[in-house]
Amino acid sequence: MTTSQRWQRILIVLGCAVIAYAVLAPLTSLDGAQALNLPLLTDKLWFRLATITAMFVVMATAWNIIGGLTGYAAFGNVAFFGIGAYTTGMLIAKAKWPFLLALPLAPVAAAIFAVLVGLPLLRLRGHYFAVASLGVGVAVGELVQNLDYRGEPIFGGASGLFMPIFAVPNRDLYFFYLMLGAAGVSIAVTWAVIRSRFGYGLIAIRENEEAAAVIGVNTTAYKVAAFALAAALTGLAGGIFAQWNVFIDQENSFPIAYNVEMILMALLGGTGTVFGPAAGAVVLQLLIQFLSGSLPITLDLPFVPEDAMPVLAQVVLGVLLALVVIFAPRGVIDFFGGRSRLTVAYLRRSLRETSI
Amino acid sequence: MADLVQLVTIGLLAGGIYAAVGVGFSLVWGVLNIVNLAHGALVIVGAYLTWQIFTASGLDPFLTLPIDAVALFAFGYVVQRGVINRIIRAPLLFTFLLTFGLNLIAVNVLLLIFKSDFRSVTTAYSGAGLDLGGIVVPYIRLAALGIALLVAAALALLLNRTRVGLAIQAVGSDRDAAQLVGIDLRHAYAVTYGLGAACAGVAGGLIAMIQAITPTAGEPYTLQAFVVVILGGLGRVSATVVGGLVFGLVEAFAQSIPGSGSVFANAIAFGVMVLVLVTRPQGLLGRLR
Repeated sequence: MTTSQRWQRILIVLGCAVIAYAVLAPLTSLDGAQALNLPLLTDKLWFRLATITAMFVVMATAWNIIGGLTGYAAFGNVAFFGIGAYTTGMLIAKAKWPFLLALPLAPVAAAIFAVLVGLPLLRLRGHYFAVASLGVGVAVGELVQNLDYRGEPIFGGASGLFMPIFAVPNRDLYFFYLMLGAAGVSIAVTWAVIRSRFGYGLIAIRENEEAAAVIGVNTTAYKVAAFALAAALTGLAGGIFAQWNVFIDQENSFPIAYNVEMILMALLGGTGTVFGPAAGAVVLQLLIQFLSGSLPITLDLPFVPEDAMPVLAQVVLGVLLALVVIFAPRGVIDFFGGRSRLTVAYLRRSLRETSI
Repeated sequence: MADLVQLVTIGLLAGGIYAAVGVGFSLVWGVLNIVNLAHGALVIVGAYLTWQIFTASGLDPFLTLPIDAVALFAFGYVVQRGVINRIIRAPLLFTFLLTFGLNLIAVNVLLLIFKSDFRSVTTAYSGAGLDLGGIVVPYIRLAALGIALLVAAALALLLNRTRVGLAIQAVGSDRDAAQLVGIDLRHAYAVTYGLGAACAGVAGGLIAMIQAITPTAGEPYTLQAFVVVILGGLGRVSATVVGGLVFGLVEAFAQSIPGSGSVFANAIAFGVMVLVLVTRPQGLLGRLR
C-alpha cells in the first residue's frame, strides 16, 4: 500500500466519523428530534447501548494485544477495568478532582499495576499464567470492596462510590463519543503495534518464545509492555465508565463475566487481527443485550418469566462459547472474511482437527 | 496456646474439604491436561443434589454422598465424551474457554431452577460437637474430614490397583503410547473426567452440610482447587491431600490476622498461589513437569 492510499483510507474513516457526528448530534436533543419526527435516536437507551458496545470494543481490542498477538491467555483483564474505574472514581469522589483531569490517570494506574503483577506472572506459561491472571481479577475486586482502614472502608466498601454528575450539554452523546474515541484509540494502537518491530516481537513470542529469545527479542520486556498496553486501554474504558455511570461498586467494576466476554468477542471476530475483536464485540454485545431484554425489540419466550431472561442469556452465552470453541476456533471472521466458506465440511474439519 | 490449637483445628477441618475438592481437579489436570474451570460448578451441583434429596425425602445427608458420586460420575462421563473430547487437542485457551462455558451454563441453570436464595442442610445433629477443652469441633466437620480422606484414599487405590486406574495413568503419561497398546482413549478420558466430577460431587455434598449454598458459591472453589494442586505439586493424590491440608492451615492463619476475614478468601488464595509459583513452582512435594 502506498502512502497516498493509506492517507486516503484514514481520511475516509475520519470523514465518516465527522458525518456521523453531524447527523447524530442534533438528533440527541429532544426538540430537534421531535421536529424531525425521529424518535428512536433520542431514546437514552440507544445511547446507553451504543456506549456499552464501544466499551466492549475497547476491552476486546485491548485483550487481543496480550491474548491474540502475544498468545498469553489473560483471564483477569477485568482487574484493569476496575482499577481504571476506581482511579477516576476515587479522584473525583474523594479528592474532588475534575473528571477530565482524573481520567488520564486511569490508564496510567492500570498500566503501573499491570507492570507490577506482570513481572512475576508473565514468567508463568500456559495454565499457570491463565489461572494466575484469573486470580488477579477476583482478588483485586475483593480487596477493593473489603479493605478498610480503622473501620472505614478505603474504597467506599460495599456501598460503592458516588460521583457528582459531569455537567455537559448532551451528556449521553458526550460519553458515547468519549467511549467511541477510546475504541478508536485502541484500534489505532493495535494497527500501529501490528506493523511495528514491537508487534513482530509479540507475534514471535506467541509462535515460539524460546526462538524469539534466540533471535534477540527481549521477551520479558515485550510481554510486560504488551500486558501494560492492554491494561492501559482497558483502564481508560473503566475510567470513562466510572464518570458516565456516576456510581461504581465491586459488582459493576469487576464483573467476572467481562473476562470471558471480551475473550469470546476477540475469538468470534478473529484474534490477532486489527478489526476482528471490535466486530466480535459489536455482534456479541448486541446479542447479549437482546437476550437479556435490554433492547426495545425483546424476545418473548413461552414458559420463561421475564426476570429469568438475563440468567438465560448467560446460559446462551455459555452454549455459544462452547460452539465457537468446538466448531469455529479461528473465529467467525474466517468465513465472513472470505478465507474459508461456511460449509458443513468446514465445521467437520474444525471438529476433527482437535478431537480424539 | 488455646488460640493456636483452635486455629490448627479450624485449618485442618477446612483443609479436608479443600483436599476433597482438589483431588478431582488434580486428576483431570494431570491426565487430561485441562484446568477444569467448571470444577467449582460440579462441586455446587453435588451440593444441590444433597440439599434436594435431603429436603424432599429427609434422607440423612451423609447417605446422599454415594448418590452424588454416581450421578456426577455419569454427568462427567457424558460431558467429557460428548463435549470436551471434541477439543482435547486444541490449544490451551480453547479448553479453558470451553470449561468456563460449561461453568457458565451449569451455574445459570442452577440459578434458573433454585434462584439465588441461600439453602442449607440442617439435621438433628447439626449443632452437636466434640468438646476438646474449650474448643468445640462440630461432628459434621469431623466426619467431613474423615470422608474427604477416605475419598482420596479410594481414588489412590483405584488409580494404582485397578486396570482402569492403570489405563488412566498410562494415558496421562503418554497418550500416543497408551493408544498403541490398545487403550480406548475416548473412554479413558471420559472415565477420568467422570471420576473428577464424582470427587467434586462428594465434596459438594459435604459442603452443603457445613455452609449455606447458592448457585454461585462454587466459584471460589475452582481457584482454591488450583492453589491446592500447585501447593502439593501436580501428579499424586497424596500430594494434593497434603496441599489441601496446608492450604486450610494457611487460610485459617491468614484469616485470623486482625482486619482480615472470610471476605478475603480469593485474595488469600491468590496470594498463596503467587508465593508458591514464584518461590517453589513444583509444589511442596512435587516434581517439576
